[in-house]
Amino acid sequence: MLVEVTGGHVVFSTRKGVFRSGQVYALNGVELTIRRGETVALVGESGSGKTTLGRLTLRLVEPSQGKVFFDGKEITHASESELRPFRQRAQIVFQDPFSSLNPYMSVRELIEEPLIIDGEGSSQERRSRVDAALEAVDLLPASRFAAKYPNQMSGGQRQRVGIARALVRDPDYIVTDEPVSMIDASSRIEILALLDRLQRERRMAFLFITHDIATARYFADRIAVMYAGTIVEEAPAGAVIDTPMHPYTQALIAAVPEPDPANRFKRRPVVPGEPGSADGRVVGCPFYNRCPHRMTGVCDTITPPLAEWESGHRTACHLYDSRYATLEPQSGSPLVRTDLQYSPMNGR
Amino acid sequence: MTLLAIRDLYLHYRSGDRVVHAVDGVSLTIENKGEAVGIVGESGSGKTSMATALMRMLPRNVARFDGSILLDGQELTILSDDDFRRQIRWKKIAMVFQGSMSILNPVLRIGFQVAEPLLAGGEVSKREALQRAESLLERVGLPAGIAQRYPHELSGGQKQRVVIATALIMNPDLLILDEPTSALDVSVQAQIMNLLKDLKEDPGISMIFITHDIGLASDLCDHIAVAYAGQHAEFGSAERVLLDPHHPYTNLLLRSLPRLHETEPPQAMPGQPPDLTRPPAGCRFHPRCPWAFEVCFSEAPPEYPMADGGHARCFLNDAAVSGDRFQAHLRHWAESRV
Repeated sequence: MLVEVTGGHVVFSTRKGVFRSGQVYALNGVELTIRRGETVALVGESGSGKTTLGRLTLRLVEPSQGKVFFDGKEITHASESELRPFRQRAQIVFQDPFSSLNPYMSVRELIEEPLIIDGEGSSQERRSRVDAALEAVDLLPASRFAAKYPNQMSGGQRQRVGIARALVRDPDYIVTDEPVSMIDASSRIEILALLDRLQRERRMAFLFITHDIATARYFADRIAVMYAGTIVEEAPAGAVIDTPMHPYTQALIAAVPEPDPANRFKRRPVVPGEPGSADGRVVGCPFYNRCPHRMTGVCDTITPPLAEWESGHRTACHLYDSRYATLEPQSGSPLVRTDLQYSPMNGR
Repeated sequence: MTLLAIRDLYLHYRSGDRVVHAVDGVSLTIENKGEAVGIVGESGSGKTSMATALMRMLPRNVARFDGSILLDGQELTILSDDDFRRQIRWKKIAMVFQGSMSILNPVLRIGFQVAEPLLAGGEVSKREALQRAESLLERVGLPAGIAQRYPHELSGGQKQRVVIATALIMNPDLLILDEPTSALDVSVQAQIMNLLKDLKEDPGISMIFITHDIGLASDLCDHIAVAYAGQHAEFGSAERVLLDPHHPYTNLLLRSLPRLHETEPPQAMPGQPPDLTRPPAGCRFHPRCPWAFEVCFSEAPPEYPMADGGHARCFLNDAAVSGDRFQAHLRHWAESRV
């Protein structure tokens, strides 16, 4: 395993006014592993904790419980100086290429900066590594783009600079946090294709954080679906989308508008309410309040573990647990997907 | 009777010493009550400008604004600004602006904000206005008592419902929605789309739905216009445009969408949207079109009529001009369709 998080909890303290303080339970016990050269997509809605989990794997936040490993070495509470070698091997590409690049630095300075911080190479060597990084992200000719400043470039080009900045250290692991959500639709596919190509050429591990489950399918080997600070489902990408098991995943997929003229004649099956902010510790299943298949007496009292009910397909849902098979709402045998209300739409 | 008929609408802006051709000869028809038309396009294709032209909420730097807008048979372009404000804006045509959940006044109760246009009109009592606001808030799916609350107590989806209620308070015939779900999570977006479907049925509000997402447009719209560089590259029934597109841009747009249940990856759209201060000569799409040939570089294609009453602005639809390219192109489309 290159990246491993076990039992990860992250609690943030907030201030509400002068005297009161609050706590946000951003992550409530997540398990995540990423193999060398593997792409995992972390899919979820706002506030589900996907960004926090990404930052936890980079040790940009420290867990309040649980452990973080990188390449077999525990880095849970490692100090910044102990993390130095790790920082070179694990990189992040930020969501917003407009605010994450210093406007007063040229592209060359921006990409060279991490190498200077690492004290890597002579200026000659750094120069050629910057050029190579620019070439890798198709900002050609490299010499022309190296002299530009961020405001002289489009959103797609700026994001390429952000990617080059991550690449220049030759990392083993990259976290991309919604890398295309701020970019014009016409450039999105190109950026995704670029990331995909780099990942395959260099065999880097990727954590691809996104709210768009349809995009995740093409980009990721595995998809982990997050809800309220927990991973509720995790499986190979195709399995999550074609045969989703968790009622939340099913609702998420049913909500994706695909271009089909028949759509307008039917209402979408939706779950009521909105993803709650995780400001209190949840007893039972975090999706209980919104779940169309909830089993009162079980789901509201026992937190479902992320269990492998099918080979390679893990789901945190009591509906698949034979111990509760006799309970409502199922009839008879353990619930199978076809019994669920939200079978995947558009069975094309 | 036709509800809305827009003919040859132009809206240009001055920008320095240049002119931005934001709306450049657009025609659009909404035949029936309760019909929704989607305007789909990339940023900078003139979708929002078209909406502001319909609402006549124009910036100061307008260089050209002409054409015909017939609403229920009434020509709107000849109305004075005062008459337009008194008779049309919010009363006949209302709009939900992009990002408008953030324009709710944080210190006013929700009910008052929804009732405000009625109160400003001075035709109904305060009590009656608030009552109407409350029943409308219920109609858009908000829980009772929400009228007494303040915006910060509401979730994003609830705020968007409030904004929709605010637009509907004067009983408009036509509601323009500019990316109404772009700030919402996908599960909440689906709830709002269901609400819009309901409002289309009852009370039968006609809609212009502006979005960059052709998939989302198909969730609501009976007709779809594909906007490109200030014009409508293609227009027609949702069935025809989505399943049998006759413009390469529509085709590429559809192929650039990630699909849930297909293993074929989406195709990147080539090139960048054009600069509207200097629209390309000939067909506006030719610099990005994989099928462009000589005539596309020099001549602007007319709107070739389609069997569904729509049109496509592409020479490939004219066998007399494009010759056997037309056949090759049809074959290509047939193969690319899944």
